[in-house]
Amino acid sequence: MGKILCVAEKPSIAKAVANHLGSGAQARSVPGLAWLKNYTFNYNFERWGQSDVVFTSVAGHIKNSDFPDRYRKWMSCNPSDLFEAPIITTVADDKQTIANNIKQQARGAHVLFIWTDCDREGEHIGTEIREIALEGNPRLQVLRARFSNIERAHIINAAQHPIPLDERQANAVAARIELDLRLGAAFTRMQTLALKPLVDPSGEKIKVISYGSCQFPTLGFVVDRYLRVRNFVPESFWSIRVVHRKDNIDVKFTWKRGHLFDRMIVTIIFERCLVSKTARVTKMDKKPTKKWKPLPLTTVELQKMGSRFLRMDSQAVMKTAEDLYTKGWISYPRTETDQFDQGMDLRRIVERQQQDNNWGPFAQGLMNGGFSQPRRGSHNDKAHPPIHPVNYVTPGSLNESERKVYEFVVRRFLACCSTDAIGEATDISIDYGSESFHTHGLTVLARNYLEVYPYDKWESSQQLPAYTVGETFEPTEAIMTEGQTTAPGYLTEPELIALMDANGIGTDATMAEHIAKIKEREYVQARLRSGGGGGRALANHDAEAAPRGGRGRGRGRGRGGRGGGDGRGGGAAGNGGMQEFIPTTLGVALIEGYDNVGFETSLSKPFLRKEMEAQMRAICEGSHTKNDVVQQNLEQYRAVFMRTTQQMNVLKAAVRKYVLGQQ
Amino acid sequence: MANDFTTDILNHLLSRHLHASQKWLSTYIATIRPNTPLPALKQTCLFRLLSTDITNTLTPPPSGRFPVDIINGQIQSREIAGPIVVQVLDVEDIGHSRWSQVEALESQERGETTKGREIVRVVHGEAETDNENVSNTTSVGPHKLLLQDAKGAKVYAMELRKIEGISTKMNIGSKIVLRSFTVARGVIMLEPGNVTLLGGKIEALHKAWRDGRKDRLKAATSANG
Repeated sequence: MGKILCVAEKPSIAKAVANHLGSGAQARSVPGLAWLKNYTFNYNFERWGQSDVVFTSVAGHIKNSDFPDRYRKWMSCNPSDLFEAPIITTVADDKQTIANNIKQQARGAHVLFIWTDCDREGEHIGTEIREIALEGNPRLQVLRARFSNIERAHIINAAQHPIPLDERQANAVAARIELDLRLGAAFTRMQTLALKPLVDPSGEKIKVISYGSCQFPTLGFVVDRYLRVRNFVPESFWSIRVVHRKDNIDVKFTWKRGHLFDRMIVTIIFERCLVSKTARVTKMDKKPTKKWKPLPLTTVELQKMGSRFLRMDSQAVMKTAEDLYTKGWISYPRTETDQFDQGMDLRRIVERQQQDNNWGPFAQGLMNGGFSQPRRGSHNDKAHPPIHPVNYVTPGSLNESERKVYEFVVRRFLACCSTDAIGEATDISIDYGSESFHTHGLTVLARNYLEVYPYDKWESSQQLPAYTVGETFEPTEAIMTEGQTTAPGYLTEPELIALMDANGIGTDATMAEHIAKIKEREYVQARLRSGGGGGRALANHDAEAAPRGGRGRGRGRGRGGRGGGDGRGGGAAGNGGMQEFIPTTLGVALIEGYDNVGFETSLSKPFLRKEMEAQMRAICEGSHTKNDVVQQNLEQYRAVFMRTTQQMNVLKAAVRKYVLGQQ
Repeated sequence: MANDFTTDILNHLLSRHLHASQKWLSTYIATIRPNTPLPALKQTCLFRLLSTDITNTLTPPPSGRFPVDIINGQIQSREIAGPIVVQVLDVEDIGHSRWSQVEALESQERGETTKGREIVRVVHGEAETDNENVSNTTSVGPHKLLLQDAKGAKVYAMELRKIEGISTKMNIGSKIVLRSFTVARGVIMLEPGNVTLLGGKIEALHKAWRDGRKDRLKAATSANG
């Protein structure tokens, strides 16, 4: 009987998979590390026959890249040397026991079967495991399992269909690691050495003024909005409202122009309305309308909805989702895919939710004929399905955040498998003077998916009386109103995630970390948005206003997409508890400083980093090599680096202005 | 022969309701090179005239000028037959806050524009052409214009219905023919049916207008708030 060595990315996965494959798997602790266990059992693989299996794990990356000693001391070299200094990759000190365990278990094995998560990072960890195992046994055959959740049948299927490691994805991560190390170290040292004496003369308050190629554009978004809020000047605008009382209903018509910023013009137009005496009905439409059920859940969408409705920040949402995944309750929570595979048996997943006290009856309804295939979004990362529940777990056995995230994932999934909400929309337009006015009514006829998905709001409006086209009437009331534009709110977490997503900063898996990083570095402060509610959207037609209106049914990728049958009844529901970000003086100083150094390649803008992310994808697709990408990026950033050192005074001036309050 | 030329050119201009002054016309004709084909002459003549300040170059009949009391705010509404040729001295987008227009101008200055939530870097050189496709910097309006007739009378006008060619990107000094239009409380109501855009530009005015636009918007914003 041959020996198969299986290695998972985390201990919890090793335990879960080992228990699915070998009933009664024996757990043996590895000396020196309490949590590290080797599970041994017998298993009959299609490919290798009856085998002895040792299932162990690592804990994320095992190897660490750093500069040799000569470059590690801050004063030992010029920071710019770090662009080409050698890099050595070794097993991290605290991972020695893990590495030795793999090396030891590899001896005598004939297959290394890797069970790291199926994403870029997992692929790279897989190559680290491979290198270490081959040191122990150079003749190993190496394969990996493809899986996206810890459900039994899925795991058994993965065990029977091993695939090779994806070298390209691993190379993309290797490129990212090298660039992050070089750029992070070079810029961090350069700006710390130059600015720290100014910011922190005692040298006690802060250690470093760190730089990261994702951190800075992320901070840039926050600062950008902050400055917009601060510089904002309110302006008056004027509008016209018409009311007509019919069948005892006060029908309120709104001006098609919304409002205008010129009092004289509105006054003249208003007078022309009044002079014309009667209004004429130009349109009376009653037609069926729908509110589309949501798309299958992606990571970005989960994070945005989490901060909007669950009162959890994106990092907490991701952490909780990972816990739920490792426990086998939900599928892998890092995915860009918003379409379910046609072959997937979604009914079986629905079936498992029937026992719940809250949404169980709804799931039963789906099983009894209510099921409808989910909508298909346009994204497919070809690695993982959309996030969905795997097994049923009673809410009582979860902690509070797990319960909230699990409930959201389940409700979203059931909503996807349900049908669109159905309503009837009434649109009435009138001409009055030279102007058009309009009113809109909605009657919700069947709530359908909304029954299980309280995160979307779609409510019937006031009933409208019947009008006929051509009918004229004298308005009961026509008034000219005045209002004022209000400043946009500070950037909220869902908005920040949407900006990062649209601008290619970080991957959906790392966005939450970057946000946490700029908080930790004290470049921004997070606080709960006061007042709550989405009513702080700009009252005028600024760029921000449009995307906000429809965000109740955000597409998850911030790219327009289908707006739904009727967005008007929608809108965000109760988003109190959302975090908003305000930059610290240091945060503002850094961004403005870099902006002033030169706009074309400012580090505060997303352009450079976006290009880097695109090149990572190019490595995965095989059109670029790791080496090309690394060299090309280093050159670009080196140019910025040189210019920044030459113009350090510009950065210092920004620090003096904001941090020290000097002009 | 020269007379035929002049008549032809004159008619060409008159078909656009442009009553060029004798003085301007003779200056123009003096610059004509012999053997230039007539269609080319007509075209350059029109082009040059449209680049002038009409208060110096047009001498329309009384029906081609604003009534002297046009800006009388006491008159609720009246119709004017025209046709009257005017030039554009100012154009404002009154559908959008001035501050949002300042923000848009500033992001253009930084070489950026937005496409939904995505920030797009405008590559130098493409700025003039591609810019309009990716951004919403072309104003939506409605617009308020300041118009001037050949006698120098200045009147505000409101774009009551969307008119192709009227935007904050239009040329200052460009010429418009107005016909059977309404004036309400001293403000002209512009509609596609009563407006013909002839084009043209007064270079100096245009440059000064464009360069000063951001400051004017800012000043108007703080005056308003």
